[in-house]
Amino acid sequence: MENLFDIFIKAIFVENMIFAYFLGMCSYLAVSKTVETSTGLGLAVVFVLGITVPVDYLINEYLLADGALAWLGPEFATIDLSFLSFIMFIAVIASMVQLVEMVIEKFSPTLYANLGIFLPLIAVNCSILGGSLFMQERDYNNIAEATSFGLGSGVGWFLAIVAIAAIREKIRYSNVPAPLRGLGITFIITGLMGIAFMAFMGIEL
Amino acid sequence: MAETKEKEPLFSTKNKKLLSEPMVRNNPITVQVLGICSALAITVKLEPSLVMALSVVVIMGVSNVIISLLRNMIPPRIRIIVMLTVIASLVVLTDEVLEAFLYDVSKQLSVFVGLIITNCIIMGRLEAFASSNKPWPSFLDGIGNAAGYGWILIVVGFFRELFGSGEVFGYPVFEKIGLYSIGYENNGLMILPPAALFVVGIIIWVQRSRHPELVEEN
Amino acid sequence: MSNSYIFRFATIMVVLVAAILTAVATILKPMQEKNKDEEKMQAILSSANIEVERDEAINKYKERLLAEYMLDLDGNILSIYQGEEEGFSKGSERAFEIDLKKMLEAIKQFEAGSQQVSPHLPMYVIKDQEGDSLFIIPVRGKGLWGPIWGNIALENDLNTIAGASFDHQGETPGLGAEINTDMFSDRFKNTKIFNDQGKFVSVQVIKGGVENSKISSKHGVDAISGGTITSNGVSDMIENVLSYYLPYIKKHQ
Repeated sequence: MENLFDIFIKAIFVENMIFAYFLGMCSYLAVSKTVETSTGLGLAVVFVLGITVPVDYLINEYLLADGALAWLGPEFATIDLSFLSFIMFIAVIASMVQLVEMVIEKFSPTLYANLGIFLPLIAVNCSILGGSLFMQERDYNNIAEATSFGLGSGVGWFLAIVAIAAIREKIRYSNVPAPLRGLGITFIITGLMGIAFMAFMGIEL
Repeated sequence: MAETKEKEPLFSTKNKKLLSEPMVRNNPITVQVLGICSALAITVKLEPSLVMALSVVVIMGVSNVIISLLRNMIPPRIRIIVMLTVIASLVVLTDEVLEAFLYDVSKQLSVFVGLIITNCIIMGRLEAFASSNKPWPSFLDGIGNAAGYGWILIVVGFFRELFGSGEVFGYPVFEKIGLYSIGYENNGLMILPPAALFVVGIIIWVQRSRHPELVEEN
Repeated sequence: MSNSYIFRFATIMVVLVAAILTAVATILKPMQEKNKDEEKMQAILSSANIEVERDEAINKYKERLLAEYMLDLDGNILSIYQGEEEGFSKGSERAFEIDLKKMLEAIKQFEAGSQQVSPHLPMYVIKDQEGDSLFIIPVRGKGLWGPIWGNIALENDLNTIAGASFDHQGETPGLGAEINTDMFSDRFKNTKIFNDQGKFVSVQVIKGGVENSKISSKHGVDAISGGTITSNGVSDMIENVLSYYLPYIKKHQ
């Protein structure tokens, strides 16, 4: 249990998708103009990461990794399909996004109205694929750890985009040098926020 | 198709523009805001930046040609998945080749090679250009955009390695010209992630002061 | 575009893609494995203070290898592999093929009682530049971001560290990542893992420098400034893994 909490907190603050790895920057920069839309996209990311990382964990563990097919019988134990993992992960993400969209549409029209337009954007959000690839590289021990990593990463991304959107709403009233307006200053602010987040580095729970 | 090709020279003004436009005026990173995700984290050193830039050039050129050749065959309803599959297969090939022939670099790039798949530049160009144009212009468009992305990567990598570790391609430049003996110290900030954002911010600043038409309204 | 066309298109594409990728992966696999083997051999040699380029590592390793041992947790030698020509003089398990990560997990499970079979420990014996035998123990542990690993070379007295090499998956560049430089690993030379009373104390990586601490320079080395957690990880992994080898060391000292 402690370990799960540790992974969760670490994924939010120390290994923040945006500030430590720059993943999902495209939509982060493009959609962070207002807090409201950022919240919507952020929630969608938490949601999708929370689902795709554990699903990809199972696929990696029981289909792709070296010796993962051992459950089919001893003669399959030497098969290593890990070269297919990129394709499998992206396929899972694309279909999961589709599935989630349909499920939400059916069961919660209000949530769909809020999240709906963001879901298609998410298939090409690098932080989603990044989540699965990091999960694979870091070799989590069980599905609970993978889930808590996925959710933590999503929450970290959510925090980052909402924070930058709030700052961008305020910065409209400041006198930024003309060439830096918009994109340039957002880059620099993100850098400064990244430095602030580095203060979390080395937290041991 | 062959007839139109004969009428139009390989490097017509229009085709040259496809190559040069994305360099500055329509740069994928600083103007179109695409493909930043996989780019910044590997720019600590020059070498991985260069390899990443080259990989993207190759993958983008090839995938644009493939999609352009198939453009009349791909069923529109599953086109996104087809594009993703083409890109992902090329990325896997690149990854395997790097691991076999450039092992050290592939270790440094680690998961970021995989993230080329979600590099929005590639998807963006496939959707916007290759799926409605002939192979040759598509190829040029792909190469042009990838190069526009690549040079930013290389510039960022160069400055971060130079000021962060005092080296260029691992060669200790600052040590050789004696900067350390007069009290210079490496800037530790440059090797940390936020520095990449600052360097790109500065590139945008320089670029937009030279091309005022690119300035945003806020 | 009828549904059957879409279906046919998708099927052909999937088959084609799978065929191409499998072919490439199969062709390149031997080269990738060779790269990994070379890297591992290079790291082992480096801990014995023999620096080679990666493409020479295989030959140099063959030339320098005296034996690869497999030990049980009580310190008995189960297998001895003496190189390609001589083959095994005892047992049939090669230390080089052991996956350290799986082995350490198996030991934990064994100690917790959830696994009955006792795991075996790998050890390399390498002839160094002066012709002395060095006993090399591979270690593995956790850094700040991910796994860190390395090799510790012990001299004939199984007490003095003759050299070490470390590597990592993704520690902070310029800070924790510095553990894979010679500058860091050279600090371990001539440190001792037993104190004067013969008690196992391992070698600690000390933040703030050995001089300012209570630990003598025989059992401590300076940490990397700014890389505290990675440095602690190095301390922990050395102490943790070497402790499994204590029965063997005690027997042969």
